[in-house]
This record gives sequence, structure tokens and C-alpha cells, in this order.
Amino acid sequence: MRPARLLALAALLLAALLTALLSLGASPAAAHNVSAGADLRLAQTIAGTELTVVVKGTTRVPGPLRIGIIAYQPVTGLPVALEVRSAEDGRTVTGEALASADPRYAELRVERTGPHVLTLRAGGESAVVPFRVLVERGSGAELLIYGGFFVAGVLLVGGLLTGALARPGPAMAVAAGAAAGVTVAAMVVVFEPMVPAGPPDGAAPQVTALAGGGRPYVQERVATVPARPVAGEEFTLRVDLVDGSTGRPVDDLTAHHEALAHLVVTSEDGRYFRHVHPLRTGPGRLEVRLRADRPGRYLAHAELEREDSGGQLLAASFDVHGPGTQRATGDGTGGADSGTGDTGDGMGGQASAGTGGDAGTGGGLPVLAPAVPVAGRPATIEMDTAGPVRPWLGMAGHLIVRDRDGSFLGHVHEMGSPGSRRLRFTFSFPAEGSYLAWVQYALADRIVTVPFTVEVSAQENGR
Amino acid sequence: MRRRALIAAALVAAAVLIFVVGRSMAAEPLRASVAGARYAATVVIDRPTIGPITVEVGVTSGDAYTVAVSAVMTGMGHATSELSARATAPGRFVAEGELFPMSGAWEVSLRVNGAAGEETLVVNALVTG
Repeated sequence: MRPARLLALAALLLAALLTALLSLGASPAAAHNVSAGADLRLAQTIAGTELTVVVKGTTRVPGPLRIGIIAYQPVTGLPVALEVRSAEDGRTVTGEALASADPRYAELRVERTGPHVLTLRAGGESAVVPFRVLVERGSGAELLIYGGFFVAGVLLVGGLLTGALARPGPAMAVAAGAAAGVTVAAMVVVFEPMVPAGPPDGAAPQVTALAGGGRPYVQERVATVPARPVAGEEFTLRVDLVDGSTGRPVDDLTAHHEALAHLVVTSEDGRYFRHVHPLRTGPGRLEVRLRADRPGRYLAHAELEREDSGGQLLAASFDVHGPGTQRATGDGTGGADSGTGDTGDGMGGQASAGTGGDAGTGGGLPVLAPAVPVAGRPATIEMDTAGPVRPWLGMAGHLIVRDRDGSFLGHVHEMGSPGSRRLRFTFSFPAEGSYLAWVQYALADRIVTVPFTVEVSAQENGR
Repeated sequence: MRRRALIAAALVAAAVLIFVVGRSMAAEPLRASVAGARYAATVVIDRPTIGPITVEVGVTSGDAYTVAVSAVMTGMGHATSELSARATAPGRFVAEGELFPMSGAWEVSLRVNGAAGEETLVVNALVTG
């Protein structure tokens, strides 16, 4: 009789577990979500400087939302106005954060989970970043585990007492209850890790089975404001992203290497180089302020990633007009160095750093192994840094390579040992020819860009 | 007696299962509020399913003249044409027609035109059948 009762109990328990399984969905994609332990980090080129906005997650709502602005270039306390608006009820809170290498976090208060919009304003520019506040829901498993053990403990004591009073019937009943408690707790302990965690509070609805293959490709429309930018004068480079399948604005970019998009702007000859992080000013619209020092054709390569998809590279070009006067260096924007790179003047000799200038800044020269890389084979590029390196865009260093006509662009990440003052990159140049290359890394107070060229030889016979 | 109890327990468990599965399959009404920079609105779709549906839009903030409703499944790259909503009262709009050609995660776009200009508000909808 007792086993039958226990069997019924086990059946009920299984049903309860199944219900729990069925009522839980898949966890949401990690795009622009701010939850405890998962901060949102986004690089932004704003007010002529490189900043990274960090939004720290909260464990509860209403609760604090901490926002800090990390500066990578020498700016002294650049104020950035913050505004966080709930996209559900429109409630808005404002604050201010000062950009610095080691920032103090401004504390704003969020009242609810779900979609929010962060607006940043600095130096007459503004960026609008949508994000979601997520708070983990308790799974209920703890209640079952601790509840089960608690019941078991109480009933065991009761069972012992009843047994001591020599009443076998009730003692058996109490002991059976204790066994049931232990069973519940033990089963939950065993099965809980197999149950997928439910979506946190505030997550976007999502289907359990993801449509494979990722989202449609992105097309871009690149324009400058004004339409005819003049050398030496500031202009806005505008990138409108369009979904290749629907023709609608693409507004689901995820933080790809800590930025909505990495925009590499180079002059056709490679003397001008900027690696910037445009601001989202509206749905599907990215904008960044630039200043080109010489007239001519400029290439813009945008690296970005949609939600549930892989990375994409979009290429476009634009012309800079104006006075034909050759200006060796840009005249700086807004008191800070524009872009992330110093102007890479002097694409020096083969595999050598730019002729002095401000690019090298004490760091070593790039060392290639083999000295003349072979097309299609891995080549290693090593470089000593000018000082202790600070992670930037999630990596210790970045290598950007471009072929002469700009039809090929590669972005390589540093793969050396952490804490080392030597950067190491490995890359297989796809074809023979001359490549332009730039190594970038962040020091305590600035971003260093080292330009050089790489000559790649053809594959030897017999591959 | 014991067998009866066992059968009863099994029946209860089965009923719970059927209830949960059935509930997760039925279309739950969509009620969402969304606040943009210019307008705020609430969206109610009583039965967000494939086929003809009714979308009720209440513009709770801002002076709206017209509202057009469309849907996009960003995961698959599907988009539907706009349904023009008719005004039933100041700030109240109703759009009728087919919005979701297939089940899945959709974004419902509300293109609101009014005194403050045009703004597109987006809410998420899960269409289950």
C-alpha cells in the first residue's frame, strides 16, 4: 500500500516538473540587455573623443542603474548629460557623468524592467541608445529544495518521537512524509540544472526555436552633411542602414566588440586613418563627425552585427572637396584629438612604422614572421607597446589591414598573453601585393595608432 | 480504494498537463504600452493570430491625427503592408485586416502622425498560431 502511495506522489511530482518545463521559454538574446552581472559597454565617438559608455545592471526594480563614461583620450572631466527614458511608460530620469580614465558612476533610478532609451549629450552631439533592463526571476526551485528538506527534517523528528512513544502506524506515516520531502528536494536538486532558465523580467518575447541562418543582410547608404565636405572643415558622415529583405531601417545592432559599429575611414592612399564609433541618432541611422585633411576619395568600412546574426562588413566611399592645399595634419576637433588615430602620415617603407611623427610614440616597430608573408599562409606580426596597455574594445590590441584599392579590409585581434607589453597578431593575407596596416592599442591616457605597410609574396609552387 | 485514489491522482495530473499545454498554445491577448519621444500609445490585440485581426491603438500622449499599423518579423526579414487605422474617438484608433502571415516573434510598428510630426513606435508581439 505504501509503495502505491509513494508512486502517486512521484507521478504528481513529475507532472509538476513537466509543468515547470513547459511554462518556461528560451532565454533572450544578449543584445543591449542590461542585467545584473552583464553590463552594456558601448564605444562612442562623441565631442571629438573616444569614450566607452558602461551601463551596469541592476538586481531589482525599482532600483539603481549605474552609468559610467570611460575616456581613452586625454579629456579632463568632459561632462556627458545622461537621460534614461522607459520606452513603455515614458518616465524619464536625467543625470550627468564625467568622462575619465577611471570614472565615477552616476546613479540613475529605473522604475521598471523592459525597453529603455539612453540619450547621451556631449559637445553639441547626442546619441540615442536603446537597451533593455532585465531582472532575473526566481525559479522557484529553491523553495522546493529548502521546503522539501524542511518538511523532511520536521517529520523525521516527529517520526522519531512517535516511534519513541511506540505507535508504529502514525510513526510510519510521518516517516513516509519525511521520505516524500527528501524525494522532492532531491529530485529538484537533480533536475533543476536541466530545466532551462526562464526569461528574465523585461525580456522581449521570443520564439523558442530560433529561425536558423541569422537575420537578413544589411545594406548601407552613406552620405555626408554637408553633401560636399571641404578639406580641413568638420563634416558629418551619415550611415543609414537598410534591411536587405524588408527595406526598413535596421535597428537591431548588437554590441559588436563593444560598439554598435566600427567605422574605419581611410583616404585612398592610406595616409588618413580613423577608427571611430558612430552615434545612433535615430532608427537605423549612425552619424559621426570627422575632419579630413586633404581633398580626395575616402573609403568608409563599417563593421557591425545584427542580433542573432554574425558580423558584417559594409564598404562605401565619399569625396572630400575643397581647397587643394595640402595640409599635413588635421587641426584637431573640439580641443581633443579627432578620431582614434593620430594622422598616419608617412606610410613608411615595407613593414616599418610610419616615419617617426606622433604615431610611434615610443613603441617598437612591427616585426613580421616571416619577414615577407606568403599569401594564404598565417603570418605573425608582433609589436612592443609604448607602455602598459589598457583593454580597449574588449581587446589589448587591434590590427586593421587594407589592400591598396580598399576592396579588402581585415580586422585582427591581439592574441598574445595578457599583461604582456608585446602585442601579437596572426593573419593570413589572402593574396599577394602591398597592404596598408594599422596597429591600435590604448595606453593609460591615449590611443596609439601605428601605421605600416606589408608586402605579401605569392604562394610558392606546390601549395 | 487505493486504486481509485491512484486513478484520481493520475487524472488530476493529466488535467493539469492539458491545461498548461493548451494555455501555452492559445493566443494570449497582446496589451502593450510604448512611449516614444513625441507620442505614447497603448496597443491592444485581443487575438494576435494569423488571419484577420483587430488592432486597437490608444494614443495616450500627444495629439495624433493618423495611425498606420504594420508588422515586421526581423528574424526572417518579413514585412507586411500598412493597415490604416480609422479614428473612433480623439486619440482612439482601430485597424482591421491581416497583420501576421505566420507565427513567430513580430514587431508591430505604429506610424503616428500628428501635431508633433511623425514618429514610429514599436512593440513586440509573439504570435503563436
